[in-house]
Amino acid sequence: MPSTTVIVLGDRPAPPDTLLAALRTMDAELVAGDLAQLLNAPAELLPRADVLLAPAEVPGESVRAAVRRLRRWGAAPVVVVWTVAGFAALEAHVRLGHDYLVPPFLPALVAARLLSCSERAELGRTLREADARAELMSYEKELEIGREIQAGFLPEALPVPEGWEIDVRFRPARQVAGDFYDVFELVHRRRLAVVVADVCDKGVGSALFMALIRSLLRHTAEQSGLQHLMAAGRAGSSRRIPVVGATPLLNAVTATNGYLTRNHLRQGYFATLFFGVLDPATGSLVYINGGHNPPLLLDADGGRPVALDVTGPAVGVLPDCVYTLGYAQLDPGDTLFVFTDGVPEARCPDGRFLGDERMLDLLAEARPGRPMTGRDVVDMMDRAVREHTGSAEQHDDVTMLALHRPRAARGPYAGRRRAVA
Amino acid sequence: MPLSVSLSIEGDTTVIELAGELDASTAPDFHQTIEKAAGHGTATVEIRMAGVGYMASAGLRSLVFAQQKVAGHVTVKVVGAIEPVARTIRTAGLDRSIVLTDG
Repeated sequence: MPSTTVIVLGDRPAPPDTLLAALRTMDAELVAGDLAQLLNAPAELLPRADVLLAPAEVPGESVRAAVRRLRRWGAAPVVVVWTVAGFAALEAHVRLGHDYLVPPFLPALVAARLLSCSERAELGRTLREADARAELMSYEKELEIGREIQAGFLPEALPVPEGWEIDVRFRPARQVAGDFYDVFELVHRRRLAVVVADVCDKGVGSALFMALIRSLLRHTAEQSGLQHLMAAGRAGSSRRIPVVGATPLLNAVTATNGYLTRNHLRQGYFATLFFGVLDPATGSLVYINGGHNPPLLLDADGGRPVALDVTGPAVGVLPDCVYTLGYAQLDPGDTLFVFTDGVPEARCPDGRFLGDERMLDLLAEARPGRPMTGRDVVDMMDRAVREHTGSAEQHDDVTMLALHRPRAARGPYAGRRRAVA
Repeated sequence: MPLSVSLSIEGDTTVIELAGELDASTAPDFHQTIEKAAGHGTATVEIRMAGVGYMASAGLRSLVFAQQKVAGHVTVKVVGAIEPVARTIRTAGLDRSIVLTDG
């Protein structure tokens, strides 16, 4: 393959025979073209070349414009202008930085000049690529710093109460994520807060809002943890009992929603979240589901999973909205599986989603006869997501959290009496 | 899959018609159209979504963004969304601020 590609402009005057003969003896691929074509053809049809050979009689500005178009497509050829007698025109080109050829057009002279131009073009390309790589590397470095800082907004270690197991899988689609999870103690370690959230959209914007929302939720919950007030139950429900931990929960979600809608509504970022507060002693759970994929409560006997439906809108969308509380009970052997939409919306190479139905089928197939721990559930779902995604790109962050209450060691049915909150 | 976005005015309604997938990669096109639509100043902005097969959370954000962009008295309607898309909107609670109709 020739080492050099030369576009020979056919614009008048036509190259003299001696020049054409010299070009043909060179180790070069010759591409015919004219200015009109280089200036007007669709970018994808433009030739890639090292050298653009033009008669001095064509206007220098037009040649420059053509080179600008060729550069956009990748390589910028070095311009070599030839003339037989038009030296004034040639001088104008040289002032623009173009190289030149004048008679006699001896093959060795023409070849030497064009090859040196070709090397210059190659050097220019290499420099531009190096620049682009350096720029990319500095972006990547910034993103890597972002990733590390964001990792600091996830819990370093999970406070797992005695008699419980917590398993988490967190796989961001990009370096920085919009998903997050959090586990922390409330009310003098008598309650455990469990949060899984998904900030809308993805990339750096979501990551910034993740840091804000996580901090607001946790800070508010921790600061209001000492007020053991009576919280109202579901609207219309007769269940109005004092629930320790419900106050920090309500305060955290309501205050975060208020803050976001007061200060950030214009940016349109919000989070769907599941925020549960567990009493580790009894297994009773009070929660708010703010517009999030309903978590699944899997009972020890492999019965149909119970979905913990939404109890309010996504956080950060509606000012002054009401979040009601949901209640659930985790008995020995039960697992609460909380996840983000990256799980059901995992896509295979041809675009199909994993889907909620498939998730339920997997659980139904796996659980009867084989008691699953939280880790089993997370492993199984993560495997399903990976297998389904296959060679396709991971589009969305994948977050899963399983809160599991192991059966007592005494026997499979020990302690299965329903505890009252 | 790409998203096609078209914008037209029918009487006192600005109509944005979407077809394709509304996700993080296509939402910016929709955002630009929303900005234009907000400039029209009609009483209603109608987003026709029958041709949208999938909407990611970036699409939900676009709807919140649309609600923010238009003046307070302007109604934003989402028309003809298929069930999975409508469910995504309802789950997040956006149907409380945006009118969701079958068309």
